[in-house]
Amino acid sequence: MTIDHPTGAAPEAVPAVSVSGLVKHYGEMTALDHFDLDVRQGEIFGLLGPNGSGKTTAINCILALLAYDSGTIRVFGEPMTPTSYALKRRIGLVPQNVAVLNELTVEENIDYFCSLYVPKKAERAPLVDEAIDFAGLGDYRRFRPGKLSGGLLRRLNIACGIAHKPDLIIFDEPTVAVDPQSRNAILEGIQRLNRDGATVIYTSHYMEEVEEICDRILIMDYGRHLALGTADELKDMIDTGERITIETLDLGDETLAAVRALGFVTDAAWDGRRLDVTCRRGDHNLVDLIGVLRAGGASIGHLTSRPPTLNDVFLELTGTALRD
Amino acid sequence: MWSTFVMTLRTNLQDKASMFWLIVFPLALATLFNMMFADLGSQYELKAVPLATVQDTNWNNDKGASAFIDALSGEAKDATGISRPLLDATRADSVGKARDLIAKGDADGYLTVDKQGRITLTLASGAVAGMDGSGASVSGKSITISALGGAIDLYNRTDALTRKLIADNPWAATSRSFWTSLGSATGMTRETTLTNSVPGVSTRYFYALFAMACIMSMSYSIRAVVTAQANLSALGVRRSIAPLSRTRQLVAGFLASWLCASVCLLVAFAYIRFVLGVPFGGREPAAVLAVVTASFMACAFGTMIGAIPKLSYGVKVGMTSAIACTLSLFSGLYGAFAMSLSDWIARNLPALALINPTQQVVNLFYDILYFDSYRPFLATCGVLLAMSALFLAAGALMLKEQRYEHL
Repeated sequence: MTIDHPTGAAPEAVPAVSVSGLVKHYGEMTALDHFDLDVRQGEIFGLLGPNGSGKTTAINCILALLAYDSGTIRVFGEPMTPTSYALKRRIGLVPQNVAVLNELTVEENIDYFCSLYVPKKAERAPLVDEAIDFAGLGDYRRFRPGKLSGGLLRRLNIACGIAHKPDLIIFDEPTVAVDPQSRNAILEGIQRLNRDGATVIYTSHYMEEVEEICDRILIMDYGRHLALGTADELKDMIDTGERITIETLDLGDETLAAVRALGFVTDAAWDGRRLDVTCRRGDHNLVDLIGVLRAGGASIGHLTSRPPTLNDVFLELTGTALRD
Repeated sequence: MWSTFVMTLRTNLQDKASMFWLIVFPLALATLFNMMFADLGSQYELKAVPLATVQDTNWNNDKGASAFIDALSGEAKDATGISRPLLDATRADSVGKARDLIAKGDADGYLTVDKQGRITLTLASGAVAGMDGSGASVSGKSITISALGGAIDLYNRTDALTRKLIADNPWAATSRSFWTSLGSATGMTRETTLTNSVPGVSTRYFYALFAMACIMSMSYSIRAVVTAQANLSALGVRRSIAPLSRTRQLVAGFLASWLCASVCLLVAFAYIRFVLGVPFGGREPAAVLAVVTASFMACAFGTMIGAIPKLSYGVKVGMTSAIACTLSLFSGLYGAFAMSLSDWIARNLPALALINPTQQVVNLFYDILYFDSYRPFLATCGVLLAMSALFLAAGALMLKEQRYEHL
């Protein structure tokens, strides 16, 4: 599937989405608290946060489905309102909940949702065929949604959102409750759409997915912008370094105390078989740690060193682990 | 807009629950009504009442009274007899014998003639109990006894008057006009047809059933609204971000719902009219217009219900059934008690009847059946259209408030 881009605006000149100082209250609860966002054209932008962090609220505000208390929202440089039909024509949404008509077949569903953007049947027919091929639903054209598996249903949900070849596609947690095989297919599809030129906003609370496919990631919680950057940039922002795990059966109290006394160690725990050490950023942490263990006469078995993850980033930024 | 119209039409036609309530339910219940009420009409026909005639000396001396009773029992030898006998006379020599016949169950009462030629009808307690005046107990026999009582009373008054006039002015008996005026049937019970066509006793039950099915059709427009609103469904989210105005989507959904409801109800109408033979006054085109008007009102009602925020589609469909069942109680669907209640409301609380959509749908068909003029029918159409306007205005107001809504 190929996405044609009618506008010739330079990616750096006009952001695909620009949100500034967005505030949204639900009664007394603040859903978005001076939230800022800039999505460049042509990138896959990840919006990462736990459930209830304000991701979907932000998306709904961007799509003009929700009113907001203050702030500005621009899509492709234009203010977004419920009647911005020219802008809406360039946007595709894959909602979190599967939104298809159970009475229509796979093909009819895609055709109907595409018809809201492309009224002429002759222009629409090849787009529908392309979307079916893209989603791998060729064998299920005449199937009703009720006959599809969860993964195929998600793929139909995606096909309905992208058939009209939008310039900006918003995926709102598209892999929730999806088996690993379908999840991989979905993530590959999103990357393919992006390679073909579409800008993608991808919201999820699965950090591995976000880290895998997104060019830049914005971490948010309680409606606030916490950090923005590439996965590596985000990891560089935090003090947490690698996590080292060493199998050792004969660790003495003095040796454990010596490990904890190392300047780069923030935490060390031994359960009689395994020593877990959390480190600050440093170039020689592993070498220094092994030196202390050898000096204490401890035997060293299997050893692993894991670099910091987005979860560590989130943990350090918020003080809590990413909630499900 | 056209694709949304077609899509709504297709999804509605495949909605099994609505198909059941709009086609299967009225057809099945109408068939059931037809079987239940098959011989109900015959129960209201005039039937000859078994009575003993005490043919004692007074009876034999008064030829006028005996001739009158013979005429009522259809035993007159000349042309004075009536086409439908009101009594089935059994001869008894005395009052005692007549009472014996009552005790045996061979008679419901007896007739006696006194010395002045006055006829007296005495009824058994069982026959009196059937004439206590409650609507539910009215039957062919009680109607016959009422007619018989009226005829005997008129005879007695006429006989007494004739005797008095002749006693006061014997020459009057020689005047033809005197006897002609006495023979006039003023005050007699006479069978006549007041309506545009002859209604069956069960007709109004079919109309009430039709009104209930009509209200159930609002589920179509409820769905049309819910699936177009971002705050009410995931489908609504997807449709709301499309470059097609919400008004056009809602209008397309409404028109498709109206068409579906009209078609389904016309199928039910065709069955009730042409298979079961329920009368619509020979004005089938007006009945079709009534169906289309009623379904428009139902879809407008559904639009209002569908627009209520923060209620799920399932709750709204449940509300449809509850509203249809409740309103049908007041339009007489559930038997004689409900019919009496409906009549009582129409007499004593007309404003309540006016705002009951099912009653107004029933009234549409009454108007077709009972009135020569189309004016009452058009007036009821006006009431339903005014209701529709109110429902649509309320729905539009709620939808306007939800232009942006919490998701």
